[in-house]
Formats: sequence, structure tokens, C-alpha cells
Amino acid sequence: MAVIEVTDLRKRYADLTVLDGVSFSVEEGEIFGILGPNGTGKTTTVECVEGLRRPDGGSIKVLGLDPVKDGRKLREQIGVQLQHTQLPENIKVWEALDLYASFYANPRNWRELLEEWGLADKRNARFGKLSGGQKQRLFIALALVGNPRVAFLDELTAGLDPQARRTTWELIKQVRASGVTVVLVSHFMDEVEELCDRVAVFDRGTIVAIDTPAGLVDGIDAEHQMRFTLMAGDMVELGGLPGVTGVTRTGNRVVVTGRGDFATAVTAELARHHVLVSDLRIDKRTLDDAFVALTGRSFDSTH
Amino acid sequence: MTKLAVVELKLLTREPGAIFSLLIPLFILVVFGSSIEPGDTVLLPMALAIAVGLVGLYMLPTTMATYRERGILRRLSTTPVRPGNLLVVQLILQLVLALTACGLLLAVGGTVLGAHLPTGVLPGVLTFLLGTAAMFAVGLLIAALAPNGRAANGIGVLLYFPMAYLAGLMQPTDQMPDILARIGEYTPLGAFRQSLRDVWAGGAPSPLLLGVMAAYAVVISIAAARFFRWE
Ligand SMILES: Nc1ncnc2c1ncn2[C@@H]1O[C@H](COP(=O)(O)OP(=O)(O)OP(=O)(O)O)[C@@H](O)[C@H]1O
Ligand SMILES: [Mg+2]
Repeated sequence: MAVIEVTDLRKRYADLTVLDGVSFSVEEGEIFGILGPNGTGKTTTVECVEGLRRPDGGSIKVLGLDPVKDGRKLREQIGVQLQHTQLPENIKVWEALDLYASFYANPRNWRELLEEWGLADKRNARFGKLSGGQKQRLFIALALVGNPRVAFLDELTAGLDPQARRTTWELIKQVRASGVTVVLVSHFMDEVEELCDRVAVFDRGTIVAIDTPAGLVDGIDAEHQMRFTLMAGDMVELGGLPGVTGVTRTGNRVVVTGRGDFATAVTAELARHHVLVSDLRIDKRTLDDAFVALTGRSFDSTH
Repeated sequence: MTKLAVVELKLLTREPGAIFSLLIPLFILVVFGSSIEPGDTVLLPMALAIAVGLVGLYMLPTTMATYRERGILRRLSTTPVRPGNLLVVQLILQLVLALTACGLLLAVGGTVLGAHLPTGVLPGVLTFLLGTAAMFAVGLLIAALAPNGRAANGIGVLLYFPMAYLAGLMQPTDQMPDILARIGEYTPLGAFRQSLRDVWAGGAPSPLLLGVMAAYAVVISIAAARFFRWE
């Protein structure tokens, strides 16, 4: 069942068109990624879905509700972590959780969240005194305190160190395991690859692809390379194998270029002729490559 | 809503500015109060006007503009609670702060310093309410127009001094140029001080001045509501 359905969403600010016909749907229980470079309309999209901004066109249904018309009913059932938001400097961690829990009809026990998100020993600390990572974890805990069916997390791991990012990822997987649908906005490829069941790739106010992370990577039809060093046995002819587009050899080093899953065919062929190789390397294709293939420009160049 | 009020009250007591709004007028009262004659009717109205002015022009707009700047109102509008509730709670708490400041001044002024306390309770309360409403309206307008908390703070302080001067809070009105004293009487803070003065003198405040304060309260609040942005 689709918990979120967005059809032809449009939004402009003055003469800047930010969303130009965005459509996607999110299934119950999945982690749905919204990926794209800075300023491509990711935040605008989720904030329209949350009912925080009014779209100029298109339709949105969340849990069967219209975010603008049935806002109050909807807000009982969603949890939100906004990209740019702070709490009062002097509020204590437990006070914030206790306060936000009081806004909902069936909140979670915030003491559990305090434990889960590693904030138990910061219980009495003031917001202004927390580190970036602790603030971020508090925001996520606040997004979950209302016991939501759908959680929206905008730039989940912004400002976290690598260790804290990994920990956060594990916790988000647990959130999914508990049955909550998660919409995750990110401009980190690795995060999306690690967490998302499906991802919508945004570029300049439109969605250029929706697929699983693996599907996006497999879908690109760009050439890539495998390399190895000959150890024993005579080199065999590889040029005729399916997908292979070129073979070059310098001494014992061999570089094979090809498309699709040519590497499997090459290794099978080598094994069949008892050719022993070492240092075998296959360039791993990543979402970065998928983004280049989809938009014709590199993800980082847009930053 | 109760929890929201409790948490906001806690936050207010942790705010150094709130303590200052209580202590500054008290300090002024005590410093000048040592040289007043028993039964003085000038100093307490001045101190009360200073206190209400501080809360209205400084505390209220700074708090509200900061809440907007930090996205707290936005964050709240993603929950089942309307962000308007926070504004209502804040208004009530700032009113409580102004009341506390005034109560403190009356207690200290009336007992230790032996200043005159008015007998007319009703005119006193009416004047307090209208004067506070007028000052809070100005504060709300600042909060509506200021892009962030720091700016609201700056505008509040910047407005405070000319308004306090015109209201005769820096020096007695009879030492001010006549024209400024006359204009000052029709500013929100000036009308408030003058009306308090009238109450202290045992008479009724002039209906014209009460009307002036009410008009400021209504007109400026409407302007504030018009210009207010949630984000
Ligand atoms: N309230 C607003 N008024 C005017 N322009 C806006 C407003 N909000 C966003 N924009 C513009 O809309 C575009 C998309 O913004 P949005 O925040 O949705 O991007 P994003 O994909 O979330 O970017 P980021 O990765 O930086 O968070 C940007 O060019 C931004 O400057
Ligand atoms: Mg964003």
C-alpha cells in the first residue's frame, strides 16, 4: 500500500521554478530516499508533503489525507525532522522530549527514546550545550516521539562524524524494522546506498530516476574497467566475450574495458583456460556514476 | 498547553534578560528612592513605566523573533499543536513578568522607601492594562518586522531610549523642552506614565490618554498581525 502519493507537484518562488512536475509514491514500511545536489528542491518537496508549504500545483496524499486540508489529523501520524531548525538554547534534553510527547495523543515513552538514541547521560543538559551530533540525535528522537507512522528526516547525518553516521544508520534501520515508513532526504550517496530501499534522484526540480540503489547502478550503461596481473598460463583471447569492448596488455598487466556484467564472463573464461591472475580489480560503479549517467554532469560539480 | 506553559516559564526564568527586566527598574527605584520625600507620587509611576517598557520593547520582541529565527514556530507547526499557542503562552508569560516587576516595585517602593501608593485600585488596574497592551503591541510589531532575534533586540533598545526620553523617564517632564514634553505625553509610554501619575495623584487618569493607549494597542497590534510571518 502506498502511504505517500505525490502527483505532478509544482512550486515556484517569485520567478524561480523550484519543482517542475514531481511525482513519486512511497510504500508502507520502506525507507524512501530523496537524493540530489544542493538546491534541487528536496526540502521543498518534503515540506510540501508535510503540509508545511503550499504547492502551486499537483496533488499530494499522505496516509490517504490531504496535507493542507486534513493537516491536523495528518500531523498526529507523522514525525518530522526539519533541515534548518533549532530549539531554545536553555531547554533541557528531557524537557524537549517530554514537551513534544505531550503534543500527541499516543506518544512513545520518551525515556526509551533517550536510551535508544544515546542521550540518557545528556538528559539534563541544555540544548545549547550539546554537540552537533547530540543535537541531531535529539531532533531525530523528537521526530519519533509522537509514535508516527511516517517519519521525515531531512539531512539526517549533516554534521556527524563517520562513526556517529554509522551508528545513526543502524538506528534508522531499527526504526524501519519497527514498521515506520521513513522518508530520507540526503545528498550523500553512501547514506542512500546503505539505507534506502528505493530512491528518487532529483535534479533541478525534477526526478530523473526512481529505483533501488542497486537498480540505479545497474541501469547505467557506461563503460568501466577490470584489471589484473597474469601469473601463470597463456593469455587467452577476451575480445569476443559479450560486453567486452577493449583489451590492452602492458607486460603482465591487463586492462579489460566493457559494458554491463562483462567481468563475470571474463573471469569464467580465464578459469576455463586455467589462467592464473592476481591483483584482480573491478571498478565498482557507484551511485555517483549513476548520477552522471542520468544528468550528464557530476554530482560534486553541482555543489 | 499546560506543559507548554510550564516549559516556557522555566525557559523564561533561565533568561538573563528576564532577571534584568526585574532588577533594572528596581535598581533605579532604590537609587533615586533614597532621596525622595515620604508620600512621593512621581518616582513609582516612572519606575513602573520603565519596567513595562523593558518587557514590552525588549523581552517580548526578542523572544518572539528568536523563536521564529530558530525555526521553533515552524517545527511546532509540524506537530498537532498550533504554533499560535506558543505565541499566546508567551504573551501571557510576558504579562506575568511585567506584573511581577511592577509588584516588586510597589512592594519595595511602598514599604522600604515609603513612597505613596494610590488608593484607586480600579483606575490603577485599568491604566496598567492599557499601558501594557500598548507597549506589548509595539513589541509585537518589532517582532513582526525584525528579521531575527538580534535585530529585534537592537530595534527594541534603539526605540527604548527615545521613547523613554519622550515619556519623561530620563528626566522630569518640567525640565524638558515644552514641545517635546507635550508630544511625549501622547506616545505610548508617555501616556502610560502620565496616566499612572494621575492615578498616584489621587485623581482619575484622563480619558483622552486612556483612549490614546487603547488606540495604540489596537492599531499597532493590527499592523503587527498583518506583518507577522511564521518563518
Ligand atoms: N522560501 C523560499 N523562498 C525563495 N526561494 C526558496 C525558498 N525556499 C527554497 N528556495 C529556493 O528553492 C531552491 C530549492 O530549495 P530546497 O531547499 O528545496 O533545496 P534542497 O534540495 O533541499 O537543497 P539542500 O541540499 O541545500 O538542502 C533553492 O534554490 C532555494 O534557494
Ligand atoms: Mg534541503
